[in-house]
Amino acid sequence: MRHRTNRREFISAGSLGFLGMSLSQYLKAAETSPAKEKGKANSVILFWLEGGPSHIDTWDPKSNSNFKAISTNVPGIRVTELLPKMAKKMDKFALVRSMHTRGTDHPQATHYAITGHEINPAMQFPSLGSIITKEMGPRNAVPPHVLVPKWDKSRQYEDYFRSAFLGGEFDPMCIPDPSRPGFQVTDLSLPKTVSEQAVEGRSEFLKIVDRRYRAMNETADHANMDAYSAQAWKMLLTPAVRDAFDMSKESEKTKEAYGKDSVGQSALLARRLVEAGSRFVTAAGYHGNSWDTHSDNDKGHKDRLCPTLDRTLTALVDDLEQRGLLETTLVVAMGEFGRTPVINPNLGRDHWPNCWSLALAGGGIKVGQVVGASDERGYNVTERVTTMGDLFATLYKALGVDWTREYMSPIGRPLKIANSLEDTTGVPVKELLG
Amino acid sequence: MKALILVGLVGSLWAAPQKPVTLKLYPAEIALSGAGASQQLLVVASGADGIDRDVTAEVQWKLSATGVANVSSSARLEAVSDGKAVLTASLAGAKAATAAVQVSNAKAARAYTFTRDISAILVKRGCNSTACHGSVKGRGGLKFSANALYPKEDYDWIVKGGGYQVLTTEVKGERIPRIDFKDPQKSLLLTKPLMVTPHGGGKRLEPGSADLQVLTDWIKAGAPFGDDTGKAPKLVKLSLVPSMAIVTMGAKHRLLVTGHFSDGHTEDFTHQVLYVPNDPDVVSVSADGLITPKTRGETAILIRAAGQVASAGVGVIGDPIVNYPAVARSNFIDQHVFEKLRRFQIVPSALSTDGEFLRRVALDLTGTLPPPNRVKDFLASKDPAKREKVIDALIASPEFVDYWTWRFADLFRVSIFTNGLSSKWAQGYWEWIRDNVERNRPYDEVARERLSAQGYSPATRHFLPYNVVGTPADTMAEEVRVFFGRRMDCAQCHNHPYENWSQDQFWGMAAFFGRMFKVGTILMDHPVNMDLSSKDVDGKIEVLHPRTKAEVKPALLDNSKFNLDPAGNPRKELAKWMTSNPYFAEAAVNRIWGLFFARGIVDPVDDFRSTNPPTHPELLAALAKDFQTNGYNLRHLMKTIVMSRTYQLAYEPNATNKHDVVNYSRSWARAIDAEVLLDAVVDVTGVQETFSTAVSDGGAVGQAPPGTRAVQLRDPDTFYSRFLELYGRANRGAVPERNARPNLGQALHMLAGATYVERLGGPDSRLGRLLKAGATNAQIIEEFYLAAYSRVPTAEETKAVEEILARRPDREAGLREFVWALISSREFAENH
Repeated sequence: MRHRTNRREFISAGSLGFLGMSLSQYLKAAETSPAKEKGKANSVILFWLEGGPSHIDTWDPKSNSNFKAISTNVPGIRVTELLPKMAKKMDKFALVRSMHTRGTDHPQATHYAITGHEINPAMQFPSLGSIITKEMGPRNAVPPHVLVPKWDKSRQYEDYFRSAFLGGEFDPMCIPDPSRPGFQVTDLSLPKTVSEQAVEGRSEFLKIVDRRYRAMNETADHANMDAYSAQAWKMLLTPAVRDAFDMSKESEKTKEAYGKDSVGQSALLARRLVEAGSRFVTAAGYHGNSWDTHSDNDKGHKDRLCPTLDRTLTALVDDLEQRGLLETTLVVAMGEFGRTPVINPNLGRDHWPNCWSLALAGGGIKVGQVVGASDERGYNVTERVTTMGDLFATLYKALGVDWTREYMSPIGRPLKIANSLEDTTGVPVKELLG
Repeated sequence: MKALILVGLVGSLWAAPQKPVTLKLYPAEIALSGAGASQQLLVVASGADGIDRDVTAEVQWKLSATGVANVSSSARLEAVSDGKAVLTASLAGAKAATAAVQVSNAKAARAYTFTRDISAILVKRGCNSTACHGSVKGRGGLKFSANALYPKEDYDWIVKGGGYQVLTTEVKGERIPRIDFKDPQKSLLLTKPLMVTPHGGGKRLEPGSADLQVLTDWIKAGAPFGDDTGKAPKLVKLSLVPSMAIVTMGAKHRLLVTGHFSDGHTEDFTHQVLYVPNDPDVVSVSADGLITPKTRGETAILIRAAGQVASAGVGVIGDPIVNYPAVARSNFIDQHVFEKLRRFQIVPSALSTDGEFLRRVALDLTGTLPPPNRVKDFLASKDPAKREKVIDALIASPEFVDYWTWRFADLFRVSIFTNGLSSKWAQGYWEWIRDNVERNRPYDEVARERLSAQGYSPATRHFLPYNVVGTPADTMAEEVRVFFGRRMDCAQCHNHPYENWSQDQFWGMAAFFGRMFKVGTILMDHPVNMDLSSKDVDGKIEVLHPRTKAEVKPALLDNSKFNLDPAGNPRKELAKWMTSNPYFAEAAVNRIWGLFFARGIVDPVDDFRSTNPPTHPELLAALAKDFQTNGYNLRHLMKTIVMSRTYQLAYEPNATNKHDVVNYSRSWARAIDAEVLLDAVVDVTGVQETFSTAVSDGGAVGQAPPGTRAVQLRDPDTFYSRFLELYGRANRGAVPERNARPNLGQALHMLAGATYVERLGGPDSRLGRLLKAGATNAQIIEEFYLAAYSRVPTAEETKAVEEILARRPDREAGLREFVWALISSREFAENH
């Protein structure tokens, strides 16, 4: 039998939804001293390379790539010539060249990369970001979990980033593309047409219109809504929250360093949010499966993709470093899989989850190194197979989250938060954690 | 009408319990067989107030013959020697009750078996519960089958040791026996539960206990399995008296548990089972089945014996009500609901007001609010049949078709992503659903077509998520959840932890979906002479068991026989079997019921299992039977529900039902689902919503036709709506579970979001039209109350709103604020 909580229970349980936190949590979070968290990662920026980059044309150069490999500022590490800025800063990055994952098409692989589980129509799985948000709790008044920009064409991918049974308060707040003119975050500021006086009038009417109804039976839902309304007022009236989303506070120079497109501005906004207190921000500027180079792979990587990746990722790491945020901010740059080592008849490369690469920076990750290796042409992992569960476990550990934790789904199915292949628990990659 | 008046009065009619009038002695026939056999006794007194009380501790016992048996101080009848007697229980002021007693084989000791005796101890001590060694992978390196479902496996783990991998039958690592034959006292089976050896599960056995003696003797005797031929009678069922116990605060009530064996004999199991209340805040239960109430409420008590689970309901009530009022009944639903309410001493609320009823039934049948003029007409009508007439009109309306198409599109998952990555396919699937709703096609026919669809049938699209054939396991689990209301998914990887469903059964069912192929763009069942090596063909011919890696043949859940035509469509047989199984009708009526009330009779509506019993089993059975005898007619089912007085009760509670949650003693408020609420906002304000769309297979960003309502969106996945997200519209990537309850995003959106800001006024809005027509404030207030709440404002409400308006410098701005408040209020956002 389920209980309906009454008003009193609500106040002690204090569970609030989306973006949310109880008022007491909210107030407590604002008091948390940042010094307490020093020395370990406290937030994550996922730089999402939608579509799946070709590993052999980026971070794991091979002879079957049509691009040259160049040396970097770390002796012995070579990357593609398409990433010259990264090459000069390789001492700030760690590369993993032994990712081995599941899902051969975008929906399946994206779901797998974001949740660590394969799609199952019988249940929905919480995303990495929602788990981290839940485990770490909110910081300051800003939304703890953000995805930017949201997809224009479909909300299917967006759903993968949600919190499933964990609760709406851990869902990402999905916001529009900050590079577009007139960028504004929905619902976080009062429209100009609504005056302060109107606000007052509204609340005056709200107190009386359904008083008769509420007097019959005051429920927990009513009390919750009252509390949310009070909190919403506070957010709308707290300048720091609005400021976190206010891109006009950034200099033109910084905007240009990141790139004034969707890729760059999303990453810049991610930095602003992490700085203000967000826990997990997905900078997803490469919408429309940008990296999905089934045709003209080389042209795509050379003209569109690697230059923006190179520019924005290095700008982000520089910026975080200059602001003293790099040690506490984990940066993960990855897509949902790699691409076939062989070129297809359309001069493209197809999907390849079997062996691929990603880059990490900040957050106490041991940088200036390569973990794992693949064979001569990038078909298979030859050294240190790294699963999605291993990656999740590594991130959790860097954040001080117990990676062995299991959640219980509403129907009593246990779920590993770092789910690896064959129903095992992922293991942190110790080379990365020093 | 007299009943209604009484309902209003009951609050003051409390009185002391009345004297019992009749006694009942349970069991009425007692057969004790074997040395040491005994039977727990229960005597129930029924009072004139209709309440049964356990008076076992107060009665006088008498046996007609001496030396046959004794009644112990704890009311346990113990065999002494063979013979017959009559047992009499008497209590002053009541007619005595009797039971026939027969004792046989009083000197013959029964042979111990592992299944009967050792498993029983493991169950009673909680060793094989799913929280401990009975969990899927066991605990601390020791795995028992949950609730001793597989005693032979448990025996091997104890005597030989074991190892368990979810995905393979291989045993890795060392096997550790839990028994030490050389030194039985050192057996882990004893030292662990005694906490002589550290034990994560804590102390489970007390030194000197009878169970410890049984275990020790068993090990000393060489730990025999005891039934190698498998012929020993098996426990096949548990039965309970009473199946629903009503206990007043301060009193106690005993449960009697009887074990039924495969050879037909029965034994008293009251002392040999584990009692677990689902809600331990309501009652506690002692090891011998005595229920002690803790607070007013209702819960189920699960009763576990080796391999068997049963559940009893228990209700804890306050002081009985004198002169419980007669309550009018409309149909069989009321009979079941009100009968239980009477037993629970809860008086239902009054009949709903007309406005209250109209708003509720219009939302539930059509997802729309009644327009102000309709509300006024309805309130004014003196026709005694006006409720039935409006129900019939709503069921016959086009909005009914829109609304139920949307509901079933949710359940059946219409979405371009899950229907073949093409809006063309999703549209076809949606049209198929709409056509079924429009024609009111029998639900069993709809289910059969969906379950066995192939070729160009639009219903095939749910088999083709992301344009590939879904895995047999996923597809099967979804169909079982949708049409049986059961969740078998757990058994995909292991035997189900709570149900008697094995992994083999799961895969036998899954194998029905293992012969589907995508040929080009359509779905086919293994066609004869098809070139399976062709590039156009996508599918597998075999379903492999994940642990044994052997091919699994299609098999029905109950192992009933069927004809499998190797070249035909095996799902036709499955569809036939599923729709004729009693689970089908039960699950369907419960799902529909759940949409008309705040909860299902089984809740969640698709989580039927033995450990989640229905609150009203007889009602569920009666609804299912009615549904079946009326040809699985959904409209008939809905009309039956909304015609009941139970559905038509008022929202306002009375003194007796304020705390009732599960018994339908009044109308519970429910958050209105996202799409319906958005349509309601549009109706009240008079300003349409524009849905921006994008078609993912190449189409350009566009808009739904002007005037499209949210429930009319054919493929909501392609439409963005901040409002719908915030109010929890279903994600059709999985079987939907909605949550429209308040959250912070809603609060922000209400204050600053476009849905609320942009439609409060303007020339085409309801407010704009009223102002243009020169309406007074009182007229405007009344029209908006009718539109939003389906009621006329009270004089006090009108006055209060007018007073605030009078203080606003700008009348129109003030009225906009009033409209905002109405559509942001709880009375508006809830169906009540």
